[in-house]
Amino acid sequence: MGIRLFFIGLIATALAGGGFYVLKLQKDNAILKANAIKLESAISEQQTLIENQKKDFEEILNANKKMNELVSVLKKDLEDLDKRFNKKNRDVGKLAIAKTKSIERITNGASALATRCIEIASGSPLTEKEINATKKSEINTECPSIANPNYIPY
Amino acid sequence: MLTLTIFLTSCSGVKELSIFKEEVPRAKLNLEKPTPLQLENLQWIIITSENADEVFKKLEEQGIDPVLWGLTDKDFELLAKNFARIRNQLMVTNNLLDEYKEYYESETENDKE
Repeated sequence: MGIRLFFIGLIATALAGGGFYVLKLQKDNAILKANAIKLESAISEQQTLIENQKKDFEEILNANKKMNELVSVLKKDLEDLDKRFNKKNRDVGKLAIAKTKSIERITNGASALATRCIEIASGSPLTEKEINATKKSEINTECPSIANPNYIPY
Repeated sequence: MLTLTIFLTSCSGVKELSIFKEEVPRAKLNLEKPTPLQLENLQWIIITSENADEVFKKLEEQGIDPVLWGLTDKDFELLAKNFARIRNQLMVTNNLLDEYKEYYESETENDKE
């Protein structure tokens, strides 16, 4: 009788233990599933972050490129201005003595163009005429790089 | 009595406090760009030793004070270059402002759409 009770107790304990173990496994399984979902979501967030960073880097590179291009064309305008004064050892002073009226007219024309260049640099929108200028006779010779976007020097 | 007790105990459960954080982006500056300049054209007069009398006479005839601010040809060249440098700097600064605006504030435009 005692042995029988002992075995019944043993079986009951084993069954209860098995039941608890299965329950624990189910609980662990649920936690693992939740973890997997969280990990997937974290990976997706990381990928979005990496994509956004890539996009930012591209934008930064583009902005730098645009800025360098602008600085370089503006530098060229300045060099062209220097050439206009000193091309082939030109002496503007002597020219002005020899052809006073003509140089005065050229100076006033260039001054008006340079004034317009400052307006453009300060944000003034380009006129149709400035945008469509493609010939040397149509451009603003003081700052073609900013005043005449369609002009290609020839 | 029993029914009432069951109903009341069902309603009185303590709920778990949930705290959530929402990131509120900093308000965009969105300043208006300055109004572009509208400049006046000025008149250059070239005076040489030969035409000086004629120039001053013309000024008097036109009712303008016969007085001029002068520059040598070298200084005129420097003035032209200085203006070109100022213009270039203005252009670069304006462009820089546009790039910053586009980089930091373009998302706002997209959000609006």
